[in-house]
Amino acid sequence: MNRPARALSEGLWVCLGCRQLIEPPQGARSCICPRCGARVHARIESSIMLTWALSITGALLLIPANILPVMTVIYLGSGEPSTIIGGALELYQAGLWGIALIVFVASIAVPVMKLVGLAMLCLIVQWRLDVSPRQAMRVYRVVNAIGRWSLLDLFMISILVALVDMGAIAEVQAGPGSTAFATVVVVTMFAVRAFDPRLIWDMYEQREVEAAELAQRIETQDNDGYSDRENG
Amino acid sequence: MGQLSQPLQPGAGSSPARWRRACHQCDLLLTRLTAPMGCKLVCPRCGATQHRNMERSIAHTLSLSISGILLFIPTATLPLLEFSLFTFGAKNTLMNGVQALFAAGYLWLASIVLFCSVIAPLGKFVMLAYICWGSAWARLRKSVARTLRWYEHLQEWGMLDVYMLGILVALVKMADLGKMEVKPGLYCFVAMMVAASAAQVSFDPETVWARLARKERQARKRKTGGIDSEVEG
Repeated sequence: MNRPARALSEGLWVCLGCRQLIEPPQGARSCICPRCGARVHARIESSIMLTWALSITGALLLIPANILPVMTVIYLGSGEPSTIIGGALELYQAGLWGIALIVFVASIAVPVMKLVGLAMLCLIVQWRLDVSPRQAMRVYRVVNAIGRWSLLDLFMISILVALVDMGAIAEVQAGPGSTAFATVVVVTMFAVRAFDPRLIWDMYEQREVEAAELAQRIETQDNDGYSDRENG
Repeated sequence: MGQLSQPLQPGAGSSPARWRRACHQCDLLLTRLTAPMGCKLVCPRCGATQHRNMERSIAHTLSLSISGILLFIPTATLPLLEFSLFTFGAKNTLMNGVQALFAAGYLWLASIVLFCSVIAPLGKFVMLAYICWGSAWARLRKSVARTLRWYEHLQEWGMLDVYMLGILVALVKMADLGKMEVKPGLYCFVAMMVAASAAQVSFDPETVWARLARKERQARKRKTGGIDSEVEG
């Protein structure tokens, strides 16, 4: 059986700092990359556990981030605090549905999708689900690419807080929800970093090997049965 | 270093027995290290981009990052937006929002905004400029290598493009409340954002590593008294 050669089965590691191929010292669990000085492991250390820990932290923080107000716009002495969803809804009701959609995608859809995606990836590796690795990689890449856009809402708040500051006439204040939301974004960005996509391929490889072994065993059994019958 | 000759696995036929690279996303071994000029090397199994060979990568990255640093000066000092209501007016600069959040007691939020919109983008420009300039000297090899490693960590935290979208949303959101005006600082900001993306695309760490290795080899040859002096490239 001609299988694509993997670095790990050839005893080679990849430095994630400079992507150089490294021959690790015999029996070592980690080594220092001779070129860039980063610590290199065969796979990211306790990747799944770290990803779970950080995503669960993110998921829990998402609750205060959505319940607590992120921003208060006070206009002529009146105004009430609005949450993230409230802000998007307000824009929609004002007829600015394009901007409402951007805000909705960046601050509601993206964090939720990211957490769901990370949980899916962890489960695929842990439970060895029968998912094509290409599909799983697609999920990984989407999760990786969209993460940073959630900070959009916070940048907007920081701009408005500075811009609309006229005492009793008009004022924008930040709310405690924004702190929670900022932490969600940072924590989930670290969670994506902690996940090692090579684990998906390791699992796929292992499953292929097992399937091949099984097929071979069945074949030999069949042959045995056949020869038995022939002899008898 | 880099000189890894590994025997192929038995069943693999008679392809060249020298692995040059492994995909960082699926661990597939590849026999090619770099893409041809102007091309992209993509992992045949998972499709991850391995290497993008840009023409004159170091020169372009150096000039783009220096222009980025220069553009940062007007961006940080000039106002980006102006909001006016009746006779009141307020301007927004890059640091202004951070200061306001800081004053309101949101330390964590203020530091995240400061880091992602000022420190990381500026740090990326400075690091890129240092990497491109410093890779010409064998003496700076160690510190350039360290900077390259830190650049990889810092890369995704520079969020000028996200900040730009934040400005647009703020512009539209407040348009019905008062009068929003775009100020010259915003044009500098856009130019800086473009320079940041262009520098990131044109930067190729593989070229820098190759250059560092070449300079080191030259330095060693000079030290051991090599008679044939190589032409510096």
